[in-house]
Amino acid sequence: MNSSISIKGLSVSYDRKTVLSNIYLDIQPGQLYGVLGPNGAGKSTLFKSILGLIDINSGRIEINGKTIKEQRKQMVYIPQRGEVDWQFPATVMDVVLMGRYPFKKIFQRLNAEDRKIAMDSLEMMGISQFKDRQIGELSGGQQQRVFLARAICQQADIFLFDEPFVGVDITTEQKIIQILQKLAADGKTLLVVHHDLSTVRDYFDQVILLNQRLVVVGDTKTTFTEENISKAYGGQLPILHKTAIHK
Amino acid sequence: MGELFDIFNYAVGIRALIASMLVGAMCGVLGCFIVLRNMSLIGDALSHAVLPGVVVGFIIAGSGALAIFTGAVFAGLLAAVFMTWIQHNVKTKNDAAIGIVFTAMFSVGVMAISKVSRDGAHLDLDHFLFGNVLGLSDTDLYLTGFITIYVLLSVVLFYRYLFATTFQPVIAETMGISVKTVHYFLMLLLSFAVVASLQAVGVILVVAMLITPAATALLLSNRLKFVLVISGLVGVLSAVLGLILAAYFDTTPGPAMVLMATLFYLLAVFFAPGKGLLFKYLHRRKNKAKIQFEDTLKQALKLHERNNLSLPSLIDRLGFNAATVKRHLSTLKQRGLVIVNQNEIQLTDDGHAAANKLVRAHRLWETFLVKNLGLTEEQIHEEAEKYEHILTEEHLDELEADMDYPANDPHGSPIPQKQVESANALSKLSIHQKAKIDPLQINEYLVSRLWKLGIGPDDEFEVTAQDESSIQIKLEDEGQLIYIPKSLATKVNVSSLN
Repeated sequence: MNSSISIKGLSVSYDRKTVLSNIYLDIQPGQLYGVLGPNGAGKSTLFKSILGLIDINSGRIEINGKTIKEQRKQMVYIPQRGEVDWQFPATVMDVVLMGRYPFKKIFQRLNAEDRKIAMDSLEMMGISQFKDRQIGELSGGQQQRVFLARAICQQADIFLFDEPFVGVDITTEQKIIQILQKLAADGKTLLVVHHDLSTVRDYFDQVILLNQRLVVVGDTKTTFTEENISKAYGGQLPILHKTAIHK
Repeated sequence: MGELFDIFNYAVGIRALIASMLVGAMCGVLGCFIVLRNMSLIGDALSHAVLPGVVVGFIIAGSGALAIFTGAVFAGLLAAVFMTWIQHNVKTKNDAAIGIVFTAMFSVGVMAISKVSRDGAHLDLDHFLFGNVLGLSDTDLYLTGFITIYVLLSVVLFYRYLFATTFQPVIAETMGISVKTVHYFLMLLLSFAVVASLQAVGVILVVAMLITPAATALLLSNRLKFVLVISGLVGVLSAVLGLILAAYFDTTPGPAMVLMATLFYLLAVFFAPGKGLLFKYLHRRKNKAKIQFEDTLKQALKLHERNNLSLPSLIDRLGFNAATVKRHLSTLKQRGLVIVNQNEIQLTDDGHAAANKLVRAHRLWETFLVKNLGLTEEQIHEEAEKYEHILTEEHLDELEADMDYPANDPHGSPIPQKQVESANALSKLSIHQKAKIDPLQINEYLVSRLWKLGIGPDDEFEVTAQDESSIQIKLEDEGQLIYIPKSLATKVNVSSLN
């Protein structure tokens, strides 16, 4: 199997409380994966484990057949908007240029080529006119595009998005999903934590339903069924239109 | 004044001046990261915690600058390790852990100094607490110079790492930057800066040289590189002016430097462009005038609609004084929105259009509050009175598209329409007619609204049913049935296929 992320028997717990239990997953490149599950299902923990940010209790994670440490530069993480300090004195360009840091040796400076790549990423997201703005001066949708531009600038293989559509307008949501689909078509690996069940069928090729254990993973058409959803969400099933599932 | 006034004639004065400037620049630059990382308390803590190291260094090697320096840096790092250890391993709140560690170490230092000096050694507690910038030796000065260069060079060379770990530590970690290493490196630089500053301002006030210039700079710029430069400059200026002030009034230099830094901070608080209080006050005043102006225009329209528009009726209706109303009227006149003749007022066509924009904003917002937020009719008027002045044309277009172009507000009054019905509107098609969605629509928000319904540009469809409130269409590709509200359908451009 040429899966880009291979997870075998992953378990994680904090303070003796189990968050993820015995997860087996093989994530394929070229597909857009939606990661779904109720609050506390372990979606963020799954991401943190893949990124090597936390200690895992047991199990093995391989990225492109190698260890996390070896492949770290191939992965980018796009955090939720709420986790960012928007008052920070950083311009849009400053943030996007961060995407070039992994390419630099310790004392190596950023050069014209880095700036060009950053500028191209900004143009791709349609926000190059804001490059000198402080990040807090942008709208929610524009802010999300800044982080997407940084991710593109980093030229990674694997993208992990934590709720990219929270607090953005519909125009931006549309733009973001188009970019994600394009990245998938280019053979990248994309995992997206998502909450809005009504758009799952339109957006994702594959779904991962999670609730501490892996409920199910597979093709959206066959896997995203009412039965599987209620298995994952249990009593917590959010208000959702049945038409959205059966459509 | 006396002997201190002409200190600059002497080597002592020159040394003091250079050392203070170095300390001001170094603390100013480093302080930016301390403030941005919410580490002000740690800055204060480290400066107090170095004291026992100073004494130990003194006992071991006498009053040599290097020994004291080494002891102090060692104590500073020890304090950082203690604090971090408690924070990770004991259930004590972070700031409490910091407080416990530094007060304990400071106490050890104070007790040791008084013991050592009572035993006859020349070690003056006051000099450590409040600085002794006039007592600097050449060696002290060289050491301060060396430390300053080291600290500033480190900030330049490791700028990327400092920026990334300060702004987004988690992201920095995923990029392979060790946040922990950067943290301890910063602690090391901080210990260096604190020790170098001891002679100039003393243990108690070092934290001011770290945070006050940085806080000042953060009010003045939104770009980290500028913030660092401004903060360094404010630090240097505060040090120089403080020293002069102290010389002039024949008093202690350290506190004078801190007061100068505070003065710069206060100036920034009041006069900083954008973030200063004066700027905000002027902005508010301008805003208030704008609201009054717009209210004048809107009420003129309302009175006009009741055939009762005149100067007295307008003054009566607006409820602010006659002079203010006249002032706004003359602006309206200048802009060609009204014609004024004694007490008679007439709205021009432009005036009508401008007033209608405000009415549109008001009524759209009321509709939004009722439709989307579920407020009742009684709750919405005051809100809309406020928001009609704030909402931009862009917001309103988006809001309108999102609500499918409502015709009336919740009170039943018509919402002024920005776009007239298109000649090729979807609403004009009859049943079984086939057409395709024109890629050109009135704005991008309408395109988004359609997209949300599952309809894209150039999609072909057939009208399958109609009633008073909506039109049903069937998409050719997927055979999907979609209901489109009539009010929305009147705005959608289509091109007919048969």
